[in-house]
Amino acid sequence: MSLFLASVGFGLITSAVLAIASVGFTLQFAVTDVLNLAFAAVMTAGAFVAYWVNQAGVSVWIGLAAAMVACSVLSVLLNLAVYAPFQRRGTSPITLVIVSLGMALIIEFGIQAVVGGVNVSYSMGQGRTFRAGGLVLTTVQIVIIAISVAVMAAVHVLLRYSRLGKAMRATAANRTLARNCGIRASRVITITWAITGGLCGLAGAVFAIDIGSFGPTSDDLFLILILAAVFLGGPGDAYGAMIGALVIGLGTEVSAAYIQPDYKYVIAFVALLAMLALRPTGLLGARARG
Amino acid sequence: MFYLITLLIYGAVDVIACLGLSQQFGVAGVTNFGFIIFQAAGAYVAASLALPSDTANGGYQIYIGGLHLPFPMPLIGAALAGALLALPFTFLVGRRLRGDFAAIGLLVTAVLLNLLVTDYRPLFNGDAGVAQVPAPLQSGIFILSSTTYRWVFVAAVIVLAAGVYMFLRRITESPYGRTLRAMRDNDKVADSLGKNLVSLRTGVLVLGGAIAGLSGGVLVSFISVWSPAAWSYAETIVLFAAVIIGGAGNHRGAILGAILVPVGFEEVTRLITNSNPSLPPNLLPSLQWVAIGLLIVLFLWFRPQGVLPERKRLIAVPAPAAGREGEPPAGPAASAHDGQGLLTRGEAARARKGAAGGDDILQAVGLSRDFGGVQAVSGVTFTIRRATLTGLIGPNGAGKSTLLALLAGTDRPSAGTILYNGHDITALPAFRRARMGLVRTFQLASEFKRLTVMENLLSAAPGNRGDSFRGAVAGRRYWRGDEAAAIARATDILRRFGLDKLANDYAGDLSGGQRRLVEIMRALMAEPDVLLLDEPMAGVHPELARRIGDTLVGLCREGLTILMVEHELAIMDEFCDPVIVMAQGSLLAQGTMAQLRERTEVVEAYLVG
Repeated sequence: MSLFLASVGFGLITSAVLAIASVGFTLQFAVTDVLNLAFAAVMTAGAFVAYWVNQAGVSVWIGLAAAMVACSVLSVLLNLAVYAPFQRRGTSPITLVIVSLGMALIIEFGIQAVVGGVNVSYSMGQGRTFRAGGLVLTTVQIVIIAISVAVMAAVHVLLRYSRLGKAMRATAANRTLARNCGIRASRVITITWAITGGLCGLAGAVFAIDIGSFGPTSDDLFLILILAAVFLGGPGDAYGAMIGALVIGLGTEVSAAYIQPDYKYVIAFVALLAMLALRPTGLLGARARG
Repeated sequence: MFYLITLLIYGAVDVIACLGLSQQFGVAGVTNFGFIIFQAAGAYVAASLALPSDTANGGYQIYIGGLHLPFPMPLIGAALAGALLALPFTFLVGRRLRGDFAAIGLLVTAVLLNLLVTDYRPLFNGDAGVAQVPAPLQSGIFILSSTTYRWVFVAAVIVLAAGVYMFLRRITESPYGRTLRAMRDNDKVADSLGKNLVSLRTGVLVLGGAIAGLSGGVLVSFISVWSPAAWSYAETIVLFAAVIIGGAGNHRGAILGAILVPVGFEEVTRLITNSNPSLPPNLLPSLQWVAIGLLIVLFLWFRPQGVLPERKRLIAVPAPAAGREGEPPAGPAASAHDGQGLLTRGEAARARKGAAGGDDILQAVGLSRDFGGVQAVSGVTFTIRRATLTGLIGPNGAGKSTLLALLAGTDRPSAGTILYNGHDITALPAFRRARMGLVRTFQLASEFKRLTVMENLLSAAPGNRGDSFRGAVAGRRYWRGDEAAAIARATDILRRFGLDKLANDYAGDLSGGQRRLVEIMRALMAEPDVLLLDEPMAGVHPELARRIGDTLVGLCREGLTILMVEHELAIMDEFCDPVIVMAQGSLLAQGTMAQLRERTEVVEAYLVG
């Protein structure tokens, strides 16, 4: 039983980190129509920005904010300089995916060329340890979960109740129609890159805190988990991505406790392929996009 | 010397792999981000077949198999392994899934399979991988001992690469290859013209998988080791970079790309490392990946067609019928079509007609389609009589295009039944309906952009013997007759519509009106019994629209049935009888235009709409 609870603890933290990233990824795709495989590379950039801030003697929690700002700017630039010009030219979605893979290589290995291949970690305390039954969480882990819950609530408020959120949903549903209804689609898209870029940076730094020691290529596998969560929830569906993150996060960590930890990603893999085969529109399965 | 040999082997193996990828990605438009796992499967299976049982080596490495089979069994096994591995992925590349989603699925599969093989040691010795794989025709530990042997090996692999190239060229330049390229340009339209996308894509995955597997088998036979580090998902990106830079869709481009990218990069890195031994160890490999990323993005922006673009397939248009008499007929099938006009129907169409009974060729019963609560089509029932030109009108959003999609099988109804020649076809996919003679066109431009006008027409010709994998393998001599007949028929149609001068232009370069014509001509090439036209005259010069209308009326006299969506009432007046009126998803009225003008609700629907 305590094994189970302990693994649930790990699962909750993984889910929390995964949810921030997945919601960012899926919103990005929904509004901008870019299946951005450079997402994890941008996360890595965020993690290193937080690291440099942290190295300068500032708290890593301030570094978190710096990572958000940096990735927000990086994402907006990525769109303005690369994705938007390709889209204006009428490039097919699959070509854009290949472009994003190219950008992923450039960013990820650009970082590696600068920092070298060694792993680093933030200098920070883990805080007190809390136990409830077999569930063991540190203060830092609880803060991560709290941040994630706050982000989810903020995304919900943004999408449901704000003008911007409505404009984003309208642009996602039909860009041309939204434009004809007086929504400045290109501005909405730029703002979406800024917001989702911020989520990406936050996810990158939080993920780095969670795994403790990280390097330029640490996020490669995490991208697979993001994709699994996003596709499980239905690409473009923010609420689906939240549920997907919870399922994948808990699924991988709990299964790791019972089968060999090496195979924990199999759950994510099987979930993703099953969804693609049976229900490409995701668990909530509302609408097929595109 | 040994270095040169190694370089040549790696180069030839990369060429083979890039050719396989070029066939999948460049020709058929199947983006296989998991390409490397097929190479890996081939390498592991070849190793497992060539190695002796793992109990014989003192247990320092474990693996399944170990059959110790002689050459060429390991290589055959490698190709088979790649082909078989493709089968489970068939579901990913079916009709329903977007191409980019399928690509993501394959990417994820590649990453996780690598992880699994790394962690699960009993399969292929885990992280360390298998070693001491015997080379072909050698035994014991004296592997690759003589220089002569190595050179023979190099020559054999280069011959093999040349063979793969010749084989793929034979496939790509056949009618089957043309179908693959049509599918690449627009899969939905290919489906509506009777092409079975699932089977075509499965074929592409299996063939590419076999070629990738073969390349892996050859490589492991030479380097004698194989481990997960050799096939990380990033290796696929290198191969993609090679194919994109060389020229997707052009097999020579793939060869060039293989030499420029994987081989060239290794060489440059080695030279720089040798001359600057003081560089940090991680810097060059990192920069190498950055450069590959940059090359992909820059090429896709500045030269998406690659260094060697796909070349245009020019097809000589036969001289007009009068001048053709002196020439020998190209084949038995061709002579059967000679002297007959545009409306010549193939054997298939005639056979279908013989089997069909009754005057009601197409019936819809209670047909409905809702999109998340919105009833686009609700409870529509009507009958189309044989050899009529029926018009379908209604205001915007009346559900006309949706109805057409339901009839053609592009979309599935939520409720209701569709009868064609008395048979229930509701459950049949679009390509099957097209093969039965129920063919549609699309409202938006849907030409195969990177096929010439002539190729667009030829791609729709049914019953070409070369339009299958086996037919393509059998070679030009096997399908030459059918091809000549199709060219003759396409030429007749082109002349009828006055587009024969543009036969060898890319369809994507034509004007909007000309593209509409290409689409109608292509649908006619499919030898339909029922033609479903979605606004065929939108954006066409009025004079040309009249000519199209006259042609369609003529076709109906000869027995063709047409259902045509059109906005222009004048066109309905002139050509269509009867006319069906739709509004808000329902059938409002049916009759001649004169009858319909009497009915107030019809007039109102139009005025309101």
